[in-house]
Amino acid sequence: MTNCRALYVHVPFCRTLCGYCDFYSEVLTAGRAAPLVAALVRELAGYAARGVFERFDTVFVGGGTPTVLPPSELDRLLRAIHAYVGPVGRLEFTVEANPATVTDEVAAVLAANGVNRVSIGAQSFSRAELRVLDRTHDPDDVVRTSAQCRRAGIRQISLDLIFGIPGQGLDSWHESLRAALALGVEHLSCYGLTYEADTPLLRQRDAGLIKPVDEEVETEMYETAIDWLAGAGLPQYEISNFARPGAQCRHNLVYWHNQPYVGIGPAAAGFIDDVRYKNVADTAAYVEAIQNGRSPLGEREQLAPARRAGETAMLELRLVEGIDRQRFAERYGQDPVVMFSDAIARHGAAGLLAVSVTHVRLTRAGLLLANRVSADFL
Amino acid sequence: MDQQHIRNFSIVAHIDHGKSTLADRFLQRSGAISERDLKEQVLDDMDLERERGITIKASAVTIHMEVDGETYMFNLIDTPGHVDFHYEVDRALAACDGALLVVDATQGVQAQTVANAYAAVNNNLDIIPVINKIDLASATPEDAALEIEHVLGISAENVQFVSAKTGEGVQELVRAIVQHLPAPQGDPQAPLQVLIFDSEYNDYRGVICYVRVMHGTVRKGQKVLLMGRQRTHQITELGKFRPQMTACDQLAAGETGYMVASIKSLHDVTVGDTITDAAHPAPQQLPGYQPPQHMVFCDFYPSTGETFDALREALERLSLNDASFSFTPQHSDALGPGYRCGFLGLLHMDIVQERLERECGVSVVQTAPSVTYEITLRDGTRKRVESAGDLPEMGHIEELREPIIELAIITPADSIGNIMQLAEQRRGEYKKTEYLSPQRVLLTYEFPFNEILYDFYDKLKSMTRGYGTMDYHVIGYRASDLVKLDILINTVPVDALSLICHRTKAEARGRRFLIKLRREIPRQQFEIRLQAAIGSKVIAAESIKPFRKDVTAKCYGGDVTRKRKLLEKQKEGKKRMKTVGRVEIPQKAFMTVLEPED
Ligand SMILES: Nc1nc2c(ncn2[C@@H]2O[C@H](COP(=O)(O)OP(=O)(O)OP(=O)(O)O)[C@@H](O)[C@H]2O)c(=O)[nH]1
Ligand code: SF4
Ligand SMILES: [Mg+2]
Repeated sequence: MTNCRALYVHVPFCRTLCGYCDFYSEVLTAGRAAPLVAALVRELAGYAARGVFERFDTVFVGGGTPTVLPPSELDRLLRAIHAYVGPVGRLEFTVEANPATVTDEVAAVLAANGVNRVSIGAQSFSRAELRVLDRTHDPDDVVRTSAQCRRAGIRQISLDLIFGIPGQGLDSWHESLRAALALGVEHLSCYGLTYEADTPLLRQRDAGLIKPVDEEVETEMYETAIDWLAGAGLPQYEISNFARPGAQCRHNLVYWHNQPYVGIGPAAAGFIDDVRYKNVADTAAYVEAIQNGRSPLGEREQLAPARRAGETAMLELRLVEGIDRQRFAERYGQDPVVMFSDAIARHGAAGLLAVSVTHVRLTRAGLLLANRVSADFL
Repeated sequence: MDQQHIRNFSIVAHIDHGKSTLADRFLQRSGAISERDLKEQVLDDMDLERERGITIKASAVTIHMEVDGETYMFNLIDTPGHVDFHYEVDRALAACDGALLVVDATQGVQAQTVANAYAAVNNNLDIIPVINKIDLASATPEDAALEIEHVLGISAENVQFVSAKTGEGVQELVRAIVQHLPAPQGDPQAPLQVLIFDSEYNDYRGVICYVRVMHGTVRKGQKVLLMGRQRTHQITELGKFRPQMTACDQLAAGETGYMVASIKSLHDVTVGDTITDAAHPAPQQLPGYQPPQHMVFCDFYPSTGETFDALREALERLSLNDASFSFTPQHSDALGPGYRCGFLGLLHMDIVQERLERECGVSVVQTAPSVTYEITLRDGTRKRVESAGDLPEMGHIEELREPIIELAIITPADSIGNIMQLAEQRRGEYKKTEYLSPQRVLLTYEFPFNEILYDFYDKLKSMTRGYGTMDYHVIGYRASDLVKLDILINTVPVDALSLICHRTKAEARGRRFLIKLRREIPRQQFEIRLQAAIGSKVIAAESIKPFRKDVTAKCYGGDVTRKRKLLEKQKEGKKRMKTVGRVEIPQKAFMTVLEPED
């Protein structure tokens, strides 16, 4: 049985819902936090009992907004997780936080339970853009939250930023990047706004109420982020991620290297023993299943070796370093250059892929067309 | 069973008026189907029929009915209502002595009601009008009965009122069938004459012929001659559909059933052919049928990643089950090797395309359907042309003729104005108006087939609030001032996108077409230039800018499956594309030719 070394925990509650978001989340109402936390703790204990893992090296508590949980419940959850983590020196323990939700009390709870990384959903430093996104915080909250976390002793801070927000111009995007850098963060995630199916944002766009940013401009935003952040000492290491040397998110690297991990909570995905699973995206159903000792799984897929290899290639291509040929060959018995010879020849000739003795990676042009290229590895 | 106790009849109606449901009631009443096996529209046994809720193929079934203490054998044929499959109705009627003309009591006489009633009359059949769905609150059975009398001239005296759903009135209908429909009249001792009125392919038995014995008696093991084909066969199995195939030793004059004679391919039998005894043949053949006409043609090309051989095998396999579409190899300059296929209508085309993908797993790129044109060249030769791409240079053409249909529309009278206007836009020629009742009319028009092929019916439906129905048949060809509109992509003409249209409409059509194409062709890594031209004259141009990026910079967390599925979907979309030069053109672009004019 796989020894999973990574844990993802999904807390499906937010204070309010953002119009662009399609993660599974609900508005937190009274009395719902405690049963959820109890269920999470019980699901985790179940995996422990099955010997799926021994100690976790990386933990990521995401959502939703984990920091909307009442401090006592947050404490109960983090404490339960903390019982399963490895030695402090090796541990990366991240909690996602939304700016307006972190009080000194919350920051203290995080620090007390070994959390050493906070990922803050800043999204933008422009009030107008935050409004378009339905975010309830304002730019000052980001500064405050970051300071609180630092004060509480949390060593690593990451910010999420979004580009391509209706109404956003290049200047304002640069402003957000500058403001983020000014906070001295170790890590930045820059996401392009996507109009997801069934979201209020998409409906607004389709009704002509908002105007998407021109594709040329959006591309330029992305490219400046890559160049600027490299200059500022946070080089890009994945399509959307930038970090100071040594501050890459090790938990997310587990996904990108297609390694196993345990996922708990409603709608959480996990990957254990070549089986991908996803829990039901319904908190009530999830809690009830766990309470009654039933499986909360919604989907389950056993990956055949060929699919596993294809997924690994697709995921590792997201990394700036690309696919490590040697490591890939050790895992799947064949050099990726042989296994994907057609796709590599085609995209190589078009200048989208570069093949070196050690790696296969996207070129800068390839990065902008990553979907097209990586789809051909599936 | 003596002939006096046999009734052979078809159930015909406008689409969805309840034929198959009425057949269910007969089967149920006769005990042919146990309550346990009863499902709705039992005779619609093809997957596609069940999915679409329509009958595609006629089904014959033999049941026994008790009437006033005597047992009767009913051979009934449930027919499709859709206009594409009208030939199935014609075939069925020729095998019968009577017909039930079903009319939905909430809808009254509709276009296919009229067409089917005439078909029955032309076959000299006695008709029992059956007003169905009387259980519905909105039913107006008396109005429907009046319309039948008024429009079709069929006496309302024998009209039966039923609900095929609840079974109300079905017992009386059964009695009426015995009383008013004639018994068959063939002579069981005369030389054998058996009509093949339909056929189907079965993986285990080969071809199964649906037969009606007109004269004489046919026996298992008998050596028979197919008179049209001049081939002899030995009958290995005879039987009846009850509704499962149930073998028997013989079928006598007046009876209906099936015959198996180790015939391997549907193409080896002609539906309408006469079977006779090989040693003592009948002096003459039965009249038989006109073969069904292919009304529309389109090309299928293997999509990117599929091979021509896979497409050929799939078409061959499908044609085992459906002899009513044709396919011949075709080469397109733009799209490479493929097949030109002929169909009975657009629904039929859709069905074949769907079966290709579903049952045979080949993905195809399909060109827009076209009608068949006739041309006379300057040198006097005449030709048929099934697609604009095949048209010789206009300079060589003396005359270009297009198919003309007679179109019958039944509509609420208050929509006449709108329909007249639509007809004018589509070059329709008004013929006459008949009032079915003060509120409803039957309009007759002549139209170029090409003008009503695609969206006409939808338009009619929307301008009549869903009440309008139509039926058509080709009446001939007529010379018109038609031109060929070429579409060029990056200056290369794409034959599969060219179209034939009336000269007065060409410019506007070309401009609109390009705008639609621009929307359908996804941006690629380079600029794409689109042009529309008549001869060497470019009449419109558009361009598609290259895209800059295609990358999802988004956090999927650990949900790798979602990310993968997204990419797979993108790839799937590419599958039904065809590469012309370097440009990837999606399936939908080929169909935009047909999209609404306005
Ligand atoms: N309420 C009611 N519904 C009926 C009755 N007869 C048929 N239907 C419904 O009408 C619809 C069409 O019935 P079918 O029996 O499939 O009609 P059809 O004439 O065989 O249709 P095609 O073969 O496609 O031309 C179905 O939804 C039936 O359930 C009836 O007497 N009463
Ligand atoms: S706070 Fe985050 S998880 Fe919650 S609705 Fe907004 S974007 Fe979605
Ligand atoms: Mg039917």
